[in-house]
Amino acid sequence: MKGWTGHILRINLTNRTHKIETFGQEFAEKWVGGRGLALKMLWDELRPGIDPLGPENKLIIAVGPIAGVPAPNTGKTVVAAKSPLTGGFGDGNLGTRATEHIRKSGYDALIFEGQADKPIYVYIEDDKVQYFPAEDIWGKGTYDTHDYLYKRYGKGVGVLSIGQGGENLNRYAMIRSLEGRAGGRPGIGAVMGSKKLKAIVIKGSKPIPVADPEGMRKLGLDDLRKVGEINKQTGWSIQSTTGVLSWCNEVAALPVHNMRQTHHPDAWKIDGERLNNARVATYGCPNCTMRCGIAIRDHEGHESELDYENVGLLGSDLDIFELDQVGSLNYLCDDYGLDTISAGDTLAFYADAIEQGAIKGDFRFGDAEMAKKLLGQAARREGEVGNLLAEGSLRMARAIGHNSEAYAMQVKGLEISAYNCKFIPGMALAFATCPLGAHHKDSWIITFEIKQSQRDSYGPEKAAKVIELQRIRGGLFEFIVACRFPWIELGWPLDHYAEYFNKVTGLNWSLDDFWKVSDRIYALMKFFWVREFPDWDRTRDYPPMVWFDPSNADKEGPIAGKVLELDKYNQLLDHYYNQRGWDQRGIPTRQTAEALDLKDEIVEVEKYTKLE
Amino acid sequence: MIKITVKLIGPLVNLAGFSEKIIELPAETTVEEVLASLPVDPQRPKIITRNGQAVALSEKLRDGDRLAISPIYSGG
Repeated sequence: MKGWTGHILRINLTNRTHKIETFGQEFAEKWVGGRGLALKMLWDELRPGIDPLGPENKLIIAVGPIAGVPAPNTGKTVVAAKSPLTGGFGDGNLGTRATEHIRKSGYDALIFEGQADKPIYVYIEDDKVQYFPAEDIWGKGTYDTHDYLYKRYGKGVGVLSIGQGGENLNRYAMIRSLEGRAGGRPGIGAVMGSKKLKAIVIKGSKPIPVADPEGMRKLGLDDLRKVGEINKQTGWSIQSTTGVLSWCNEVAALPVHNMRQTHHPDAWKIDGERLNNARVATYGCPNCTMRCGIAIRDHEGHESELDYENVGLLGSDLDIFELDQVGSLNYLCDDYGLDTISAGDTLAFYADAIEQGAIKGDFRFGDAEMAKKLLGQAARREGEVGNLLAEGSLRMARAIGHNSEAYAMQVKGLEISAYNCKFIPGMALAFATCPLGAHHKDSWIITFEIKQSQRDSYGPEKAAKVIELQRIRGGLFEFIVACRFPWIELGWPLDHYAEYFNKVTGLNWSLDDFWKVSDRIYALMKFFWVREFPDWDRTRDYPPMVWFDPSNADKEGPIAGKVLELDKYNQLLDHYYNQRGWDQRGIPTRQTAEALDLKDEIVEVEKYTKLE
Repeated sequence: MIKITVKLIGPLVNLAGFSEKIIELPAETTVEEVLASLPVDPQRPKIITRNGQAVALSEKLRDGDRLAISPIYSGG
């Protein structure tokens, strides 16, 4: 088998044992890698209803066949588990040197199961696995943790770690690597913390199995250079993702004041221009020639690496328009190992709930110093407020009551990324049908909606575009495991990825072959949710109700007086389900699942619900 | 003559040398004519809005319009 090592390293943290398991060509071609591999393993191995923070949950670290191979933006790794935030399928990806080392150690995936009795970290070097006490770094932030491990093993190793957030089971804790890289929004860091696994250090020395090593090397290096040239010509890295802030402000899509407002006159103070002017360093993932991480000095003098989501949720959504303070909040999230998106949304929800009189508290929008204190309390689960904030906005809303769930900005429990869809139906659908909860990662269609469609349309073209992008972004890039930016930001053709895949695996796949894998993965992700929540219905694919509330409409600006309409949204959801071959509950039909070769999975899911 | 505000976004700011400015134009100037007057690559995809709403290249500008020109973003 080429492209895949065919090996999975299974580590049991309860008894500190490990074994190497194998899989064959048929399995590899069916699930490919990254999200596909992780999903299939979690589906096969997890019993529904388990406590995501108990020993039965499994942490999967999975790479793909082109991961680590020198080619545009192949430095990514997927981390996955049953989510403690949503109770459903959870994954995320992050750029890390671990990607290359996982492959060079001879694995396509690592499985961590059980629970250590004391804090440990695991060192993996090829076939060797060692377990070390982590008392010296337990309680420390990710920056100190990485420094500690780099001193011991050198900077060339791959390190994945958690901060205090993961240790204390904050439900939106992430896994960190390198400077500013993080992945696993749905609380995958908390799963790692529940296993008392502070860090994974990995170093590999084996060759990555490539069918055409010379051809791949020449093509990959050439294409890395070309992507770098396009980046220079277009100037994309000048503001990288943060340029979108000004645009969202122009078109009334910026999160402001817990997404109750869509634009703000002070937004320019935290926009991409200001960020670029304040830049002190630039960071990127391995195998990247269009680095996106802009680091600034935060209010306390730390280096803090920002992208748009960080600025949108920790800045404008909290009415904080001082860039250095946004940098401070971002630095703290990175150090504590918290998801900046969920942290921002959760703090904004807290401020909003106080403003609405649903709960008493001292926090107000715009108060950066209090926001810093609250992040620390949430990361460490200190006191009543810290424990409440550590649960995420949906659980908070259910604890608070007073109809506050309507303005908890989340879907399925996962907080919404930095696009305010008060009047952007297609992007609301993208958030609502994302298989993790409200993440922009799988589909992002705002520019399509505004440029190539009509903003107020709920037509089939928007459902089709969401699915097209889910196949590419949530499918292809998540299972071959590469960053989507060369394609989405610079127009690097998708055909190249088929070429890399074929050179690495020796297969002859077209893009259509990838789309079938994407659809299979999306169907199984939905089955995963349905198995956990057998009373599944379409309301779980709804965005927050406040977006449908006419009293929440903007008073002025481009979308004054307009909000989403629920009956029309349901029509849009119908288009989406019909085009996917899913029933009106939002569950793949038997015919659809059979066409995607999910025979065994149908038998399993039908223990919980009858397929149409 | 009409006065409009041109707002550039992302790297277009560096390419054109300004972020936002008010310009004076003959009445009935189209979006395309404004775009042609700016040092931005016409081949690269862009999204252009007038007062926050999508606008076609052929549309004529009106006094007081705010024209925002942005490259396409995926947003992070």
